[in-house]
Amino acid sequence: MASTTTTRRLSLSEWFKTITFYEILVGMKATMSHLLNYRPVTLQYPHEKRTLPDNYRGMLALLRYDDGTEKCVGCDLCEAACPSRVIRVVSAEVPGEPTKRYSKEYYMDMTRCLFCGMCVDACPVDALGMTREFEWAVYDKRQLHLNKQQLLAIGDRSFPIREKRLELQHPNVAFFNVAFKHVPSKPD
Amino acid sequence: MTEFGLRLAISLTQIAAVMGIVVITVLILTLAERKVLGWMQDRMGPMEVGPYGILQPFADAIKLFFKEDIIPAGANKFLFTMAPILCLIPTFIGFAVIPWGPNWTFEIGGISVKPFIISDINIGILYILAFASLAAYGIILGGWASNSKYSLLGGLRSAAQIISYELNVGLSIVGVLILAGSLSLVKITDAQAGGFWNWFLFALPAPQIFAFVVYVISTVAETNRVPFDLPEAESELVAGFFTEYSGLRFAFFFLAEYANMMLVSCVAAALFLGGWNAPYPGTILGLIGLPSFAWVENTMWFAVKTYSFLFLFFWLRATLPRLRYDQLMRFGWKVMLPIALGNIVVTSIAVFVHQQMK
Repeated sequence: MASTTTTRRLSLSEWFKTITFYEILVGMKATMSHLLNYRPVTLQYPHEKRTLPDNYRGMLALLRYDDGTEKCVGCDLCEAACPSRVIRVVSAEVPGEPTKRYSKEYYMDMTRCLFCGMCVDACPVDALGMTREFEWAVYDKRQLHLNKQQLLAIGDRSFPIREKRLELQHPNVAFFNVAFKHVPSKPD
Repeated sequence: MTEFGLRLAISLTQIAAVMGIVVITVLILTLAERKVLGWMQDRMGPMEVGPYGILQPFADAIKLFFKEDIIPAGANKFLFTMAPILCLIPTFIGFAVIPWGPNWTFEIGGISVKPFIISDINIGILYILAFASLAAYGIILGGWASNSKYSLLGGLRSAAQIISYELNVGLSIVGVLILAGSLSLVKITDAQAGGFWNWFLFALPAPQIFAFVVYVISTVAETNRVPFDLPEAESELVAGFFTEYSGLRFAFFFLAEYANMMLVSCVAAALFLGGWNAPYPGTILGLIGLPSFAWVENTMWFAVKTYSFLFLFFWLRATLPRLRYDQLMRFGWKVMLPIALGNIVVTSIAVFVHQQMK
């Protein structure tokens, strides 16, 4: 096909290559070599799954302490940190404990989440976690609008080992995830 | 009357057998194409339905059968319905004159039957070319009747391409016709008996190698396959002339395309590669004392040649990108046509000199 370009005359070897379809044969040799040395790169996904990296950022979840109480103190920092406005927190006082707050309602619209992990970084009490779940395809996208119970359930099934509630912690005081010298270090 | 009835029954059986073989081959081809393309591109191809995906064609067939049959608004309903049938039937009719095996006959009820030669008409190859050209009507009418700009463009491109390359197909086989002295595919195949050096691809007075190359390229273009798949160029025309087709009508177009590939492969095998003749003189089964079973070996050779030609289609599809439209036309008219014409002249002179020297 190069023979039809009329700008310059072809040399003898080029002419010979053109009439014998040399370039096409080279390409066909390449495809044939891939057929003979058949090493597929395909991962048969539903049957075999790739190993996820250690810092994989999957589905978000709310966590609990080992005594079953929720970690979340309703500070709204995750809502402020979220770039996609996924999170909506309705904060309220704990009944009978005027100084302590909790999240009365907690919603995540996972259709908008881009899994950046900023909410997890922003949380002062490590109440949010990113699980390794990623198979969240649903038929109705309203099922991706999660409430607090659903998020806690995800956390319960993904993090069976819970953080211990510190002994010296006053029930009205939230300990932030800063290194404190005067409290005992966290157990394993 | 009974003899007529018997003949009718035998003919219908043969027709049914050929139709069955063609449809089964198309089923195999759809899977084989995806598998071979996958293997050549370091993929696996279909793997889900059945072991290694071998039941995929049946899944596709069931899916296409049950899909909604949509006729777009503003479409010409009659032509829209007719087009897939116009595309499919000429291709199937062409298989009538293909010699599938040797001239072996057996007697049944007092009449002799040639099981591998459905019909031996003396204009065999012209008949195939004529009906292959009719398939262009199906494509262009389907494109026009869809009331869609993509379909229309695809149909127009296809018509122009088929007419251009049909010419080259016709001219490239003239050399073979000169060598064989007949238009009947049975006689052409018989003339190539006795080893691969007698195949018209290598036959001595005038080897038809250039004609074969022209034939291969032109048939790839004529069946709208890569790299000449401009009528159904995905990146430009969505799907070309069958953009608006769905369900069973789409399946008809699909079937027609693959049956057309099989038809040109059979013709290539019969014209250039010796048809059902083995690449060595005689047959091995005849040599070891089973001459009545030699047809097994001969039909196997025909299948091998046809399938290797079909493999070439897949191979080209895995390798080459699509041509531009002006490149396609320039290549067809300025390169292929002169080669085919030159081949006719050279072959005629060679055959004439050969006859004079005898």
